[in-house]
Amino acid sequence: MVKASRPTTAVCSWQGRLFAAGGFFFVALFTLFIAALIVADALYVDAAAVRKVLSSSYVLDALWLSVWTSLASAALGVLFAVPVGYSLSRFHFPGRVVVDSIIDLPIVFPPLVVGLTLLVFFSQTGLGRWIQDDLGIEFIFQRKGVILCQFVVSASLAIRSARTAFDDVDRRLENVALTLGCGRMGAFWHVSLPLARNGIAAGAILAWARSFGLFGPLLILVGSFRGRTEVLATTVFLEQAVGHVEVALALGLLMILVALVALTVIRLLGGLRL
Amino acid sequence: MIDVKQVNYGVGQFALQQVDLHVGEGEYFVLLGPPGSGKTVLLECLCGLRRIDSGRIVLGGRDVAQLEPRQRQIAYVPQDYALFPHRSVDSNIAFGLRRQRLDKAEVKRRVDEVVEMLGIGSLLGRSVAALSGGEKQRVALARALVLRRKVLLLDEPVCALDEAIRQEICSQLRSLQRRLGLTAVHVSHNLEEAFLVADRAAVLRDGRLQQVGTMSDLLRRPANEFVARFMRCENILPARAIGPADMEGQTTVAVGEGNAGVRLRVIGRCKGELRVIVRPENLRLLSTRPSAQWLAEHGESTIRLRLAARKDCGSYLRFEMTGPVRLTAHLSHSAADGLPADEGAELLAWLPPEDLHVLGSQ
Repeated sequence: MVKASRPTTAVCSWQGRLFAAGGFFFVALFTLFIAALIVADALYVDAAAVRKVLSSSYVLDALWLSVWTSLASAALGVLFAVPVGYSLSRFHFPGRVVVDSIIDLPIVFPPLVVGLTLLVFFSQTGLGRWIQDDLGIEFIFQRKGVILCQFVVSASLAIRSARTAFDDVDRRLENVALTLGCGRMGAFWHVSLPLARNGIAAGAILAWARSFGLFGPLLILVGSFRGRTEVLATTVFLEQAVGHVEVALALGLLMILVALVALTVIRLLGGLRL
Repeated sequence: MIDVKQVNYGVGQFALQQVDLHVGEGEYFVLLGPPGSGKTVLLECLCGLRRIDSGRIVLGGRDVAQLEPRQRQIAYVPQDYALFPHRSVDSNIAFGLRRQRLDKAEVKRRVDEVVEMLGIGSLLGRSVAALSGGEKQRVALARALVLRRKVLLLDEPVCALDEAIRQEICSQLRSLQRRLGLTAVHVSHNLEEAFLVADRAAVLRDGRLQQVGTMSDLLRRPANEFVARFMRCENILPARAIGPADMEGQTTVAVGEGNAGVRLRVIGRCKGELRVIVRPENLRLLSTRPSAQWLAEHGESTIRLRLAARKDCGSYLRFEMTGPVRLTAHLSHSAADGLPADEGAELLAWLPPEDLHVLGSQ
């Protein structure tokens, strides 16, 4: 009996090995380039900049805000991605192609435009003002606005990933579950969702990463109030804008470190093939 | 037990049309047909995985056409088994029981019972990804049988398995079905498989039932040329009735392209254009010139042919012959003893009326 988990390697000629080597060349080129960028940053940053970053309370505030808002928006993204991805994958309805395109739109929106659009919506339209003023759910210059901006920009990535994951789940598995006593929801819960979890988790990571590094729309919708709406990415932008390039790069390295640790921990803990 | 009445169902360019079928309680019924004929679609309509456009599906006296699959009380084994890859063998088998919210001890007892019945105890605890085709098939069967339902629907349950395991599992399916008193509907395109298990069978073509009957009926008395060809009858001869039937109820027909003058006698009162069918394994061949007396007795049941090819197919020899008609014969090695092997050798094919089946105007 052959273990299913064991990868198989076919016998290949020198052309095959050359082809594989070509692939590895690009893998090496890309990873080395990214590594070189990080090393260049690290070499540019001096000890004073690192001390300043690590000892400033506003940096810690911004880091904490970045971490929890990006996690919240990624969670919100997954909350939408699962039902939307499943519906788009399983149900045929009129105008599905249009709906699909609208869902993808935020991926191609310039981030600044997202900020402007949200600002116009909540300050200039009746519905937006009703939400802000009458319902009292304020987004402009508020932390809720940070999460909203991150959600709008990143949710499409989570939805796209979840939809692909549900597409990959064999429908016959759901059908069998239906004959074994499940309703549609039971088949989704016990079969489709567990089988799509890797894709959903991959979408969540993408959404989190996109949210964590976002700053363009935040500057427009929530501004950059120290200790209130300033996230780490905004701090980097503001520090380089006033000429503190070493501090900006030190902050950048901090963000890279946090992202690297988070991505690695998720992969190791989840045992996910992402 | 299962009644399909005037069922219509369309999907894309394909449609099941006016399907009428009855499967008796405790019967093992096989749905046969070439790929794309609608066997699986019909089975999925029985399961409730497809909503029929019109007609009725009655299971155990209950019209289930509008019921969800889980309300139909059927056990279903899909093609390629569709085991849940994220669950172990035990968890796959217990899946349906857990949905019934039975307590753990009861789930374990019933899983153990079905595992023992199918002899798959060694597979418990394993991942389904590591199972062979035969093992997957047994686990899928256990998952369906553990629910103790009376109707078992099997979609190509052994088509992915090799010949030896296929026969073994077909025998096991048949004995389980009898022991548990199940009513089984088994979809297949494989005749050998159907012969191993079927009480009765139906042949489907392009969504329409062509014939329902025992395998012997389908083999010896096909309803039309399609069924005859599906049952691997190669000798389908165009013919024309000559004159009225005689006192014994037999009719003389002229067979061959342009009714080339070969005369045969067939049972029944026939007229006009017909098709005469003789199964390759029923064809009898003679090599030596028979006596005048034998010819006088059998003259209108013989055709002179020339051997075009003789092939050894393992369990039988295949003779391909040309002449006024083209005929193929399948003979056992002992029956072929003494027959020529050389291309062009003359042979006499003997086709007595009882071996011939007539399609057409009767």
